[in-house]
Amino acid sequence: MNIPSPATQPERIHFSLLQLVLPAGVVILFAGFALADPRVMSPANLINILQQTSFLFLFAMAQTIVIIAKGFDLSLGPTASMVSVGSALAMAALGQGHLGGAVIVAVGLAAGAGLGALVGAFNGSVIGLLRVTPFVVTLGSFNIATGIATTLSGGHPVQGMPELFFQLLSTGTLLGLPAPIAIAIAAGLALHFVLRRTVFGRGLYLVGSNARAAEVAGVPVRLILLSAYVLSSVLTALGAMILTARTGSGEPSIGGTLSLQSAAAAIVGGASFSGGTGSAGTALLGSLFIIVLSNGMNLVQISGYVQMVVLGVIVVAGVLLDRLRTQQN
Amino acid sequence: MTIEEAPMNASSRAGLRTFARSLSAAGILPILLTSLIVAMCIADPRFFGVANVTNILRNGSVLAIVAFGQALVLIAGGFDLSVGAIVALASQIAAVTMRWAGSAFPEHDAVVIALGVGAALGTGLLVGLVNGICVAVLRISGFIATLGSMSVTLGIALMITNGIPVYGLPQSFITQFGRARWLELPSAAYIAIAILVLLAFVQTRTALGRYLYAIGGNKEAAIVSGIATRRYQIAAYVLSGLLAAVTGLLLTALVGSGQASFGGDLMMLQSIAAAVIGGVSLHGGVGRVGMVALSAIFLSVLSNALNLLRVDSRIQPIIIGLILICAVALDEIRRRGFVHD
Repeated sequence: MNIPSPATQPERIHFSLLQLVLPAGVVILFAGFALADPRVMSPANLINILQQTSFLFLFAMAQTIVIIAKGFDLSLGPTASMVSVGSALAMAALGQGHLGGAVIVAVGLAAGAGLGALVGAFNGSVIGLLRVTPFVVTLGSFNIATGIATTLSGGHPVQGMPELFFQLLSTGTLLGLPAPIAIAIAAGLALHFVLRRTVFGRGLYLVGSNARAAEVAGVPVRLILLSAYVLSSVLTALGAMILTARTGSGEPSIGGTLSLQSAAAAIVGGASFSGGTGSAGTALLGSLFIIVLSNGMNLVQISGYVQMVVLGVIVVAGVLLDRLRTQQN
Repeated sequence: MTIEEAPMNASSRAGLRTFARSLSAAGILPILLTSLIVAMCIADPRFFGVANVTNILRNGSVLAIVAFGQALVLIAGGFDLSVGAIVALASQIAAVTMRWAGSAFPEHDAVVIALGVGAALGTGLLVGLVNGICVAVLRISGFIATLGSMSVTLGIALMITNGIPVYGLPQSFITQFGRARWLELPSAAYIAIAILVLLAFVQTRTALGRYLYAIGGNKEAAIVSGIATRRYQIAAYVLSGLLAAVTGLLLTALVGSGQASFGGDLMMLQSIAAAVIGGVSLHGGVGRVGMVALSAIFLSVLSNALNLLRVDSRIQPIIIGLILICAVALDEIRRRGFVHD
């Protein structure tokens, strides 16, 4: 259960110490890489780290939402690919006519969000209504979305989006911040509010920590599961469109390793696969950790293959740390 | 408990229901497979050509071997996402070992091959052991432990030669084993059949087989009844790793080089699909390797049929994904009907 128990003082101190491990890890990693290579501290690289973190943060939040509900979304990466291709195709098709840029971008964004919602509704209804293991349902939709993304695009990048799309989601600024960072902050605050201050948010934690108890207490479990997967996939769609704007084309391969990376960020941040824990904050912390790590490894020229190994070890270590944390509780 | 083992009742209605149940449990797959084969024979005469049948059997056998391991882990209530990566790593390790051994012991193909096979099997065993320890001792969920080890294993496979295929294997390994046909059947089929017979024996006649069902069916009960659950859970992952390594060896011998692109996500997915379509429950405790073999053949025939009918290869994962979800949904509905009785 998520309800804080009247913990005794020493226990609480220990608990918060374990919670400090990750922020301390981020700082130590960053300092270590900065010592190894002064370029790490350059303003260009710092902005780069923030941009990269904001992309991953969106996907990590998407993954965290379903992990709170004791679920998992393996189809996150292919969903991002599908949204990238689908929204780009919609905008490219409309670009042939005489419509204004604003209309085209609006339709493109709606198409992307709609595609995301569709995948989420599919996952959520199979998982919520039939109560089938989320792992396998999303393994199935992983393939379906991959197939759709490559079929729609024919395997090639899709180009021809209006300039406004790039300005809005990538090159533009909002309140002095680059657009991706501003959007990620807004989405993070919105999710924080939804999780902490709404009936849906409270229900989500209940369903994740004890679905049966939630059902007995009159929480609409199926509806909450369905909404969680839809919300998650819409966030994924948002992240996918920002990545599309940055890349400059709709890419069937944009999802790549996002499923694994988002899960790594969510879990390392402190969401637990046993359900009922996690927040926008843990997603942010986890994303920052992973990005600082991979940015540093890139700068000191560690091969991508070694990075795969490190990522895998971190996922397992993160879960192990989480087990220690829950045992402490 | 498997559904077929439900006690027969005297009343004919209950008998009918049992019949319907065993039909739904074991009957759909053979019917689907038979109708698919008949339809393909009518649709395209090339389907029954020797080359095509060999191809189907070879792909089906390779998939079946990985799926057997996956099934054992699923039956014990686990999950093995790392099988595809193990196939890749075993292939690379085998090839690198044989290339090295080939220069150290020229003219001694048997020694070279034995070393390569040993190294590949050792790799599979090691990764399986790590998976098993993560799950059984450190009590990390099987899904996450193997998600992590999948990334690590594939990363190592790519690291060894930076993703470049490894050539220089003994010719006899390729011609007399990988591409060989014994009595008209591809060599992979014999190995798959041998493993099938062995595992069917393990499942029905040994303590290991029974304990895997017990652990997957109800872990608490298994612990209480004194089963060393950790040991058997680890055994399941080790067997899965070994079998994935065997598949890596078969593919290496068939193609004639070690490649990190063997296996991968697709094989991992297909192994789970084959197990689930073959009636292995994701809740653990249920499933027979015989049905898994049948469903591997089914998937192999299906993808062959889609190729012959010129269905876009990009659409094929959609079809496999849909079949997978239908299979788990059916399993769930069947299970619920069984529980409600």
